[in-house]
Amino acid sequence: MADEDETKEYRWESGYEKTWEAIKEDDDGLLESNVADLVARAKRKRAALKATGAIQLGMMRHLFVVVDASACMFLQDLKPTRFLCVLKLLEVFVHEFFDLNPISQLGILTTKMKRSEQITVLAGNQKKHIEALQHLKDLSCEGEPSLQNSLERAMNGLKNMPAHSSREILVLFGSLTTCDPGDIQKTIKSLKDNNIRVSIIGLAAEVRICREIAKKTGGTYNVLIDDHHLKELILSQVQPPAVAGSIEASLVKMGFPGGTPTLNDGTSDSSADHAPAYCLCHIDSETSSLMGPNGYNCPQCGSRYCELPVECKQCGLTLVSAPHLARSYHHLFPIKPFVERAQVPDATHCFACAKLFVEAETNVYECENCNQIVCLDCDLFIRETLHTCPGCASDPVTAQMKTN
Amino acid sequence: MKLNVDGLLVYFPYDYIYPEQFSYMLELKRALDAKGHCLLEMPSGTGKTTTLLSLIVAYMKAHPLDLTKLVYCSRTVPEIEKVMEELRKLMNYYEKEMGMEQNILGLALSSRKNLCIHPSVSKEREGKVVDGRCYSLTASFVRARHAADDAVPICDFYEGFDAHGKEFPLPPGVYNLDDLKEYGQMKRWCPYFLARHTIIHANIVVYSYHYLLDPKIAEVVSKEISKTSVVVFDEAHNIDNVCIDSMSVKITKRLLDKCSNSITILETTISNMKENDSKRLEKEYKRLVEGLRDATIARETDMALVNPVLPSEVLEEAVPGTIRTAEHFIAFLKRVVEYIKTRLRVQQVVQESPAGFLRDIHTKVCIDRKPLRFTAERLASLIRTLEISDLTDFSPLVTVSHFATLVSTYTKGFTIIIEPFEDRAPTVSNPILYFSCLDSSIAIKPVFNRFQTVVITSGTLSPLDMYPKILDFHPVIMTSFTMTLARPCILPMIVSKGNDQVAMSSRYETREDTAVIRNYGNLLVEVAAAVPDGIVCFFTSYLYLETIVSSWYDQGIIDQLQRHKLLFIETQDAAETSLALINYIKACDNGRGAVLLSVARGKVSEGIDFDHHLGRAVLMFGIPYVYTQSRILRARLEYLRDQFQIRENDFLTFDAMRHAAQCLGRCMRGKTDYGIMVLADKRFSRADKRSKLPKWIQEHLKDTNCNLSTEECVQICKRWLRQMAQPFSREDQLGISLLTLEQLQSEEMQKKIQQRAQGV
Repeated sequence: MADEDETKEYRWESGYEKTWEAIKEDDDGLLESNVADLVARAKRKRAALKATGAIQLGMMRHLFVVVDASACMFLQDLKPTRFLCVLKLLEVFVHEFFDLNPISQLGILTTKMKRSEQITVLAGNQKKHIEALQHLKDLSCEGEPSLQNSLERAMNGLKNMPAHSSREILVLFGSLTTCDPGDIQKTIKSLKDNNIRVSIIGLAAEVRICREIAKKTGGTYNVLIDDHHLKELILSQVQPPAVAGSIEASLVKMGFPGGTPTLNDGTSDSSADHAPAYCLCHIDSETSSLMGPNGYNCPQCGSRYCELPVECKQCGLTLVSAPHLARSYHHLFPIKPFVERAQVPDATHCFACAKLFVEAETNVYECENCNQIVCLDCDLFIRETLHTCPGCASDPVTAQMKTN
Repeated sequence: MKLNVDGLLVYFPYDYIYPEQFSYMLELKRALDAKGHCLLEMPSGTGKTTTLLSLIVAYMKAHPLDLTKLVYCSRTVPEIEKVMEELRKLMNYYEKEMGMEQNILGLALSSRKNLCIHPSVSKEREGKVVDGRCYSLTASFVRARHAADDAVPICDFYEGFDAHGKEFPLPPGVYNLDDLKEYGQMKRWCPYFLARHTIIHANIVVYSYHYLLDPKIAEVVSKEISKTSVVVFDEAHNIDNVCIDSMSVKITKRLLDKCSNSITILETTISNMKENDSKRLEKEYKRLVEGLRDATIARETDMALVNPVLPSEVLEEAVPGTIRTAEHFIAFLKRVVEYIKTRLRVQQVVQESPAGFLRDIHTKVCIDRKPLRFTAERLASLIRTLEISDLTDFSPLVTVSHFATLVSTYTKGFTIIIEPFEDRAPTVSNPILYFSCLDSSIAIKPVFNRFQTVVITSGTLSPLDMYPKILDFHPVIMTSFTMTLARPCILPMIVSKGNDQVAMSSRYETREDTAVIRNYGNLLVEVAAAVPDGIVCFFTSYLYLETIVSSWYDQGIIDQLQRHKLLFIETQDAAETSLALINYIKACDNGRGAVLLSVARGKVSEGIDFDHHLGRAVLMFGIPYVYTQSRILRARLEYLRDQFQIRENDFLTFDAMRHAAQCLGRCMRGKTDYGIMVLADKRFSRADKRSKLPKWIQEHLKDTNCNLSTEECVQICKRWLRQMAQPFSREDQLGISLLTLEQLQSEEMQKKIQQRAQGV
């Protein structure tokens, strides 16, 4: 958040923060080991959550994000305000979401004045969403939110999505109350019947109905502690969730638009593929211009798109490129969580980053497959970013095993 | 799991145990060993009931001669049912572990209204009507008449029980009210009489306080319970008031008018009987001459619980000649009633001792103390002889006869107050005679004297040393347990000033001050904006609640409040209140959130739990002192000062703080629960008030949270609520506030438990 410094309020405007209360002395009256312990524990906890093992994941996700825009979103306990902070984080989320789930779609709703408004429809184009989020910043927050109205609206959008996709709603809920027109229990029931998973992130305190909705629909409910925690919570929604169970494996038809857009040497098999054409993504906008030869053509109907992945507007085919699929691939085979070990005497340094183990580091982590020892930071890096164990990958025997 | 409690093998029906439960068992065992009484305070939601049951059942099994019976007294029917469920769980566990049927019989007893299975009588709604109709179907003379004439209706279920039920005892097991009814239906026996009959040989009896403390009922139901029993009073923080209520009598003008009617009915019945069946009256006369000798024998052999209404003099002597014949007795009753009527014709308040009353009644209408003392017994005998089946008509007369007996029996510990009008409506004449018991030890004394162990327990008994004083007994064990918690799940705070620094207090001098009322309002609005779901507020009285709400309305605070949550108010009307409660729960369940304004000492503060989201915060506006202008209270304070050396102020503070603690405890019903407790009065932070809160609340009341302003309070709430909302699982509790058997047996934990036991 670059502009955070400009809008930051004065110290005396913020709340009473008793930072000293979080810190406790250990038996020797020292603070350091305790703090290190706390940090390590939190990190591990997060990592452990993600190590779900080999279960079927809903990789093709349809997600509605509902943003609370009621009066309480103007509170300043998140800087600069709750609303701006949430929007900022959502931008990051949208970006990460499409990065990790390239074949998924996303839509945005807001709720205020007991009503719900659609900001963007379900679509796979991240630019549009980010643009819409930036426009939202000028929105004034007022009135009470309505959980039921926004859930109903999201449900209407999700109901008709194909059965093999994972249908989800993510609610960012700042208010402690919801003003609903009818019985919310009925809404919960139909959400459940439609196999829609609702996850809620509360910005203030635990609200019972939110917990109930999340529990009944199989989603998660979390309440933030501060803005760092909020970021963590929002980003944890990026990972595709395990499938609710009832969804059967099915074949999905996908199109792989041929040709590379940068090539202009005419080596492509058909010259029609690179003839200048209007792209369908921008055809609605006023400023649309004739595209050059660059772009992706739908293999089924030949429509032109300037970006992938996208769902063909003409014939409804999902258009992706091979790297997109490959990026989703690691979700299917997450690496096994490393085992926590107390300091092993014969291992002096981390296998991955070659850092020397020092006294302060109490625990190291071992891959069960190749028995290499890594440090905590590498453990997290491998799990969150790399998705492959450097030990296994560099050992020809295990690497062979894996490909088999 | 199986525990070793100081050498006693205890079967505990759960896999995990709280450390305080184990300490509780240790203390309870000590009391049982010493055969003495004990006073134990343990926070609500820490499994008191199951702890008590499992230890006492284990003790009964290990020492079958020393301890034969458990009498568990609870307050309401739902609570009784809860106890039965715990007992059933325990017995199932025993069966599973030992692999055989257990020879233990436990049953619940309630009124006829809850147990009747007669097709038409059970449809009645009112308890008194059910009792009356049952009596008219089961009284011995009705049945005798039925034998002669088939047209006289009787109850088939009672007949079935009378014919067979007495020979065949109930098979061992656990019977709650529904089980009894089912069993009764199956055998076609009356469940109520079956239960009453079974009490004598049952091992565990669960019933309401009144069956033991109210002398009129205890006489009928509990007198044959053996001496080697342990009596448990659960939720006993109000036990002194129950004792006092059971011995007090309130007589109004309407009641006396009804009495006159009943006397006329009696008169006509007597004259009828004289013509038809004079023998019966003669027989009664003879019996009265012989005196109540049977009762004397029973008491000498220590068979029965001493009835405080039936003084021992009455048993030793014959009924005095002046009231022996029926006509004379009727004339006597008439005189008594007329005399009380004249006494009610007063213009100002009269307060008088029983001795003064007796002297006056002697000079005015020539009634001696002695016949007065026999009134209750004599009336009961007359009603029996006259075979009057509809008892409901006579309850006013019975009340007056109890009054006559009590006033002539006790010269100490009682007072008579006659008020010509109510304080609120001084123009409306509504004379009432209060015969008020001042000494709570009178009603409970027989219980303490008779049973070897009496356990008084509750979530809020602090300060503990007050109870032995006002109940006049010597406990061998007196302990307060705290709650071990894995996270700080209660947040008590004392808010003493508003954002404008004006002190908040419900003191008499400042309670009308608009600044104070506004500050209270702002506190509520800000808390409502920060706390999710349900908030319960307690005020000191209905009057105060009304004035505050009306000025909040003028100040626009109600509007602000309704922006965040819906608002519900407790009223004195029970139906209205329960409707408000239902909707309050609905609003909390639906996520709209709600605020309930209620009154300390009201129905809500005593019986209703606001667990989890129903009570995320409790606000106590002011210190709930009892209405100190009441004459009955003043008389009681005076008596306490003279007899027990308890200073007025001490007792008032004690009483106020136990009610405050009771209100605060509403929001905390278990270890996974969490709740904010806001004490909004400057005076709470004084040491004399603070130190009287239960230990488990005091422990979390930090010095830094004792003198907060509204704003500071809301800040703390917000941060704390976020912490509490973080995922909390059983693993987090294990080893700290929840123990497995291995953890319990570990040396370290044993040491801690020892320390805890010694620390108190």
